[in-house]
Amino acid sequence: MSVGLRERFSPRELDGSAWLLLVSFVPLVAFFVVVWVVPIAYALGMSLFENPVRNPVFVGLGNYVSLLTEPSFWGFLWNSVVYAVATTGLSLVLGLGLALVVNQKIRGGGALRTLMIFPYLLPTLVVIFMWKFILDPNIGILNQVLENAGLIDEPIAFFSTLTWAMPAVVITSVWKFASFAFFILLARLQAIDPDLYERARVEGATTWQAFRDITMPHLRGAILIILLVRGIWMFNKFDIIYLTTRGGPLQETTTLPIRVFQIAFNEVDFGRATALAGIMFFLLAGAAVVYFRTFAPEAEVSH
Amino acid sequence: MATADSSWFDHRTQQRLQRVALYITALLITTFVIVPVYLMVVIALQSPAATFAGGQVNLIPKEITARNFLVLLETTETVRYFTNSLIVTASSTLLSTAIAIAAGYGLTRFEFRGKSIAARAVLFSYMFSPIVLAIPLYVIFFSLGLLNSYFALTLALTAISAPFTIWLMWQYFQTVPLSLEEAAWVRGASRFRTVWDVVLPVARPGYISAAIFAFAVAWNDFTMARIVMSNDDMYTINVGASLFLDRVTIGWGETMAVSLLISIPPFLIALFLQRYLLQGFSVGGLE
Repeated sequence: MSVGLRERFSPRELDGSAWLLLVSFVPLVAFFVVVWVVPIAYALGMSLFENPVRNPVFVGLGNYVSLLTEPSFWGFLWNSVVYAVATTGLSLVLGLGLALVVNQKIRGGGALRTLMIFPYLLPTLVVIFMWKFILDPNIGILNQVLENAGLIDEPIAFFSTLTWAMPAVVITSVWKFASFAFFILLARLQAIDPDLYERARVEGATTWQAFRDITMPHLRGAILIILLVRGIWMFNKFDIIYLTTRGGPLQETTTLPIRVFQIAFNEVDFGRATALAGIMFFLLAGAAVVYFRTFAPEAEVSH
Repeated sequence: MATADSSWFDHRTQQRLQRVALYITALLITTFVIVPVYLMVVIALQSPAATFAGGQVNLIPKEITARNFLVLLETTETVRYFTNSLIVTASSTLLSTAIAIAAGYGLTRFEFRGKSIAARAVLFSYMFSPIVLAIPLYVIFFSLGLLNSYFALTLALTAISAPFTIWLMWQYFQTVPLSLEEAAWVRGASRFRTVWDVVLPVARPGYISAAIFAFAVAWNDFTMARIVMSNDDMYTINVGASLFLDRVTIGWGETMAVSLLISIPPFLIALFLQRYLLQGFSVGGLE
């Protein structure tokens, strides 16, 4: 696209370009420096100090070493991985199921699509309130249903029981984020040429074969994106867990973001908090390398 | 197991079974999505006495009352929290969209080395964890005396939404043909005028999607507000309401009432701007 003046003239020769360049880039650069570069550099700097805010003492990588040698760190990392994998996996399965359903010409498909926007748009706090109510041990609907069905003898306090805390947090998260997978997959499904299915049918392929050989290859890229990007976001998610369990009971649902908050604001230790934030930063950088290698997303804007 | 074999089911039966399975799946997922929303609405509009009569939760509504909303109004600072949320959400939406339009246009129309690095930087910050950014921002705002200010929270929220709005506009401007602009230049319009009169109208769907995204991020935010606004007066609605559950005087009725209020702005967006919202998804997903 855009074969025109840009190919024939350098930007400087286009009239008024210099100041336009200024107008469009100065805000961008200023903004990035103020809200991204400075804070991240500042955080990485702080992570090398003990008590960096009031009375800094340089400890080098001491904060990192102390975090990484603490056995509980690996538990928190494990919790983050479990939470990220479970929420992403379940969202994918649910989203794919519904996307396949809506993509078939069924009655009410359009209404279903609209419906799926709601969990996504409802603020996290609202979602938390709903699920806290549903899973409440005293007046919760789920306990009421399970008891009436004779499946349990006494109510379960889902968010504060060791066995159930993580599943409860996962269900709450999946309820909100399955629509993310749904919309991305539905868009891909609707881009598949229907002739492909027609030809497969004529050649006697079963529904399963058509799904395996036509649908799945088309969805592969989208599924990878969901697994990777959604996985990164869930790994980094703070609000849902903080608002439901605060990382408890004991440390059953304490993930790295929750831990960063606890160290910073409960233990008021900004050296260690920023060091843990630094560790998360490097984990993200690692994941980003995989993301850029797999998708080369920047190619979409490089012309 | 010869279920796939036509000797067991003829083609018709098989298709009919598939449709049944399809509708059952649709029904199950619909129930899963609808039940919580239904509960919220019913509990918000019923008095707690009606909801919890008889020791069990009654979910067939018997009455409609504004009682829960009135209690919120009289015993809580809901109005103040809402105002705070509206102020920072509006500021952050405007700022994020403005930066995205300027940067998106510049990045599309100017050639420079390191464009692909810029693209990676934008996407990398899009994936960033708010909590990791919030800690240094807290310390910086603290030392500058900016904690508990609209300015600080606006900046923090824009930091979270801008990477994606920039990315979206950057992609969107590429779909605007340069020939449109050239035609205006040839007729003597200045470059700024061209952008204002020719490019922006064409790019409207793009910046509406960007604005919706920025709005959703800001309206939804809990993490940044929880950290930057620690003063009771400055709570946003999400932070303020999150404390309701610990208050003895506030029960589920009022909690669901405030939930309903928080849900209204996004609901209106879904109702009127669904098309733009879906466009945002198709460009590579939203957070």
